[in-house]
Amino acid sequence: MDSNPDSGPSQLPTALPIKIQGLTKKYGSMYALDSVDLDIKSGEFLTLLGPSGSGKTTLLMAIAGFNRPDAGSIRFGDEEMILKAPHQRGVGMVFQSYALFPHMTVAENIAFPLKLRGVAAAESAERVDTALATVQLSGLGDRDIDQLSGGQRQRVALARAFVFRPRILLMDEPLSALDKKLREQMQIELKHLHEQLGVTTVYVTHDQREALTMSDRIAVINEGKLTQVDTPHVIYNRPANAFVADFIGESTMLPLTANESGGLQFDDHLIAHDHAGDAGSEWSLVIRPERLFVIGDEVIDPEKTVVFPGVIREFVFQGDTAFALASIGEQHNLSFRFGTDSSSSQDTLHPGDSISLGLHRSDVIIIPRDRKP
Amino acid sequence: MSSTTINKAGNELMNAKELRADGVREQRLLLSLATPALLAVIAIIVIPVGWLFYLSFVGNDGHLSLENYQKMIEYKSYARTFVTTFQVSLLTTLLCILIGYPLAYFLAIMPARLAGFFMLAVLLPFWTSLLVRTYAWLVLLQKNGILNDFGMAAGLWDEPIKLVHNLTGTLIGMAHIMLPFLVLPLYSSMRKIERDMMHAAANLGASPIQAFWKVYFPLSISGMVAGSLIVFVLCLGFYVTPAVLGGGRVVMVATQITAILENQFNWGAASALGVVLLVATLVILFAVSKLFKLDNALFGKH
Amino acid sequence: MHNSPKQAHRVRKMLLATGLTLSTALATGFAAADPITVVSWGGSYGAAQDAALFTDASKNSGIEIIRESGASMSKTCLQVESGSVTWDLVVTGSGGAASAAAKGCLEKIDYSVVDVSTFYPNLYTDYCVGSDVFATVMSWNTDKYGEPGSPGAPKSWADFWDVKKFPGTRAYRANNVDGALEPALMADGVAPEDVYKVLSTKEGMMRAINKIRELKPHIAVFWGSGAQQAQLMKDAEVDMSTGWNGRFDNAKKDGAKVGYTFNQALLDYDCFAMPKGAPNKDVAMKFLNEISKAEYQANLPFHITYGPTNQKAYEVTTASKELIEALPSHPKNVPMMLPVSLDFYAQHRTEALELYMELLSE
Repeated sequence: MDSNPDSGPSQLPTALPIKIQGLTKKYGSMYALDSVDLDIKSGEFLTLLGPSGSGKTTLLMAIAGFNRPDAGSIRFGDEEMILKAPHQRGVGMVFQSYALFPHMTVAENIAFPLKLRGVAAAESAERVDTALATVQLSGLGDRDIDQLSGGQRQRVALARAFVFRPRILLMDEPLSALDKKLREQMQIELKHLHEQLGVTTVYVTHDQREALTMSDRIAVINEGKLTQVDTPHVIYNRPANAFVADFIGESTMLPLTANESGGLQFDDHLIAHDHAGDAGSEWSLVIRPERLFVIGDEVIDPEKTVVFPGVIREFVFQGDTAFALASIGEQHNLSFRFGTDSSSSQDTLHPGDSISLGLHRSDVIIIPRDRKP
Repeated sequence: MSSTTINKAGNELMNAKELRADGVREQRLLLSLATPALLAVIAIIVIPVGWLFYLSFVGNDGHLSLENYQKMIEYKSYARTFVTTFQVSLLTTLLCILIGYPLAYFLAIMPARLAGFFMLAVLLPFWTSLLVRTYAWLVLLQKNGILNDFGMAAGLWDEPIKLVHNLTGTLIGMAHIMLPFLVLPLYSSMRKIERDMMHAAANLGASPIQAFWKVYFPLSISGMVAGSLIVFVLCLGFYVTPAVLGGGRVVMVATQITAILENQFNWGAASALGVVLLVATLVILFAVSKLFKLDNALFGKH
Repeated sequence: MHNSPKQAHRVRKMLLATGLTLSTALATGFAAADPITVVSWGGSYGAAQDAALFTDASKNSGIEIIRESGASMSKTCLQVESGSVTWDLVVTGSGGAASAAAKGCLEKIDYSVVDVSTFYPNLYTDYCVGSDVFATVMSWNTDKYGEPGSPGAPKSWADFWDVKKFPGTRAYRANNVDGALEPALMADGVAPEDVYKVLSTKEGMMRAINKIRELKPHIAVFWGSGAQQAQLMKDAEVDMSTGWNGRFDNAKKDGAKVGYTFNQALLDYDCFAMPKGAPNKDVAMKFLNEISKAEYQANLPFHITYGPTNQKAYEVTTASKELIEALPSHPKNVPMMLPVSLDFYAQHRTEALELYMELLSE
């Protein structure tokens, strides 16, 4: 255990940056990771987001050292880690299955990494207590693992992962086994914990809402490649491509055509005046359902708002919001979502009603058209 | 009127009595399913064991007496036989663990399909008669047997090594026969250990050796104890293998029971030996269950 | 448990009996009856009895038999005590028959049916009829110690015990005391005629046990059966062994380098006994008479070198002089041997066995 992050004095940095370059891992002829480059800043909360099989877990496992990539570099700070065994990397990790040791009590589980690092019994006990308090499980140290609820196990797994003060914390879909309510509560708690510990955190999830809630930055991964790495705000509002636009949030995509003056049009609606694209390249308009609004009697400034006339096809009341589908033109549908209130008459839209939908020009998202449907 | 048929307000509940009766009927039906097993246990365990107990207190003259037990104290051969029996059983069990643990581990970390193939090799001896396997070891191990011939031809040793007709041969033969009984429960308990456990241990700073001893091994103990108990208890009653490979030097309880029956036709004395073996075994099982939380081992709690 | 297949077997046998041997049955005056069950031991012994006695006697008498292996007096007693006797005639050692008779497990032999007028007088009792005479001898590997009678070959039990003069390994009896103590006393210097007198006291038994204990480090194997005696010598697993002369002769026929001496051997006999309440008592008694006839016993030496119990067999046999002289019961050999005392075993077997087992379990 040559890299022992715990033995040093407290002036050691509490977090380390991670620099990944050219990381490649093939399973047979399939690329699980295809030359991935990623810089994770010190203390950052970065989420790897992607559908199952996208390579996000492979990437996390490579950082932890549980699989052997075919090529590439992983550096923690200045130190090359690619050839280091997992137990030499000094990263904390929370597993999807929690991987708590059933033959140990809660306290023994949490003390496990401390014992391996030769921390004295008294200090170890104190740090276990602190960790338990941090995850709000004070007094449960003597419990057996099988006496705990799912949420409690999750907290123990978390406490065990940070008790030895790792400078990097990895989490592999840690909340996926919890029910929705508990999951949302834990998201907030994890976010606070991260702020408190200040440790570089890499978080894997396939849940885009979770990613948007918690992350400083999101790395969207698909088919072994990073497709966009940016803040949740940018990822949501300015998706770089169709995959990101489609995978994160709900959206409708409309094909755009370039006109002679360099503007982009959908049917006869001018969407962008002078889009700096190569002549002949194809673009799509991405519309988030909640950015559309129903135009009533008010006066609309066409400079600021695009107006789509249409006909309601479907209407669904979902409690806090309502969801509707309207056809525009011959071939296209627009889905839109709006808040409900108990007195509003809008929740009584009926299929067949004619309607005008408005979209502020600031909400217009233009991306290159994906050739694959 | 029963409290369960009226609600808090004191009104009679709809169909409450009938539903309760239905519940009772269902339980009785389930209980009746256990009857054949219960009868079988009585017929093949309780009655014969009870008969064994009774016979052990019948003296040679047909009257109730303690002479069969007194004889066991009077002659030293009985105590020695019990010591030998437990010694051989314990050593066989340890040998099985020594060979079986790495084998089960090897199978458990293999892809399931490949493991199935190798498991077949482990189980193969099950399909050969016990006697044939035992004599096969005799042919292999005896003074002018295949192993000694090979060893001397290859110049590994000059004089034939005594491998059989002693404790060594008995242990080799018994361990071979008992191995699957250890490997099967051990393998199944190892398969249940999640891969993440070892990842977690490594991630928390345990070297592969530390991870094995602090995490993997403790989690496999339940399967190991279950398998060891099966092996140990089966060994206690073993007759053929020690008789053939022990060369008459490894006198176990079963051997002595046979000797008593063949020479004295004395059922009482033979039964008394059986009773003492049974009681000693139960005492040991009880002690082990206290030590290892046997219910976990036997019913696979994880 | 054995009933249904056996019954099926019986039915088959009966059909065969009516079909095939009806004529013989009629000719010899017996009505076709249930087949009787005759139980012997495995290995060359049972095979020899089949060849010399059972097959021909069955054919000539018209009595159908079912042959089983695994004869044992304890199983006989178990059948008798549990009231489910299926055996009619059982082979046993003379001592075993005496013990079983004492336990009340055996039927008295009806000597008005079984003719023993030409038998040696001490080879039948109220409960069993001698079938053959055998000897418990010392055998050795002739490659190692020379052919019997050659200079330097072992001659007495003292030689069996002498591991300086005859270095090598020994085999001795396991889990049964019959014939195990006598050789030790003779090796210790007791004259053969005094052996049973000495053994009748606890001190005498201990003297024998201690003598065996002295040899124990050199006893590589304790044998449990006649088949094992033969196998041990055939495989040269041990250099000297106690055992039954006929087994060694048959091993020699199979190519084993084995020889033995009748000097100081224990002269004993096997016999046929009938379990109390045997299902076909009367027919079995007739069959016992048939196989005790000299004409059958005369053929036994061709298959195993055990002597006849019916003296007349010596007159009618066609065996060579050489073969006859090799039989334990031949007048030339008898004087060299110590006849086994049934009295000793009747009185002392239980204690002797306990002491012997104590030694074995050490």
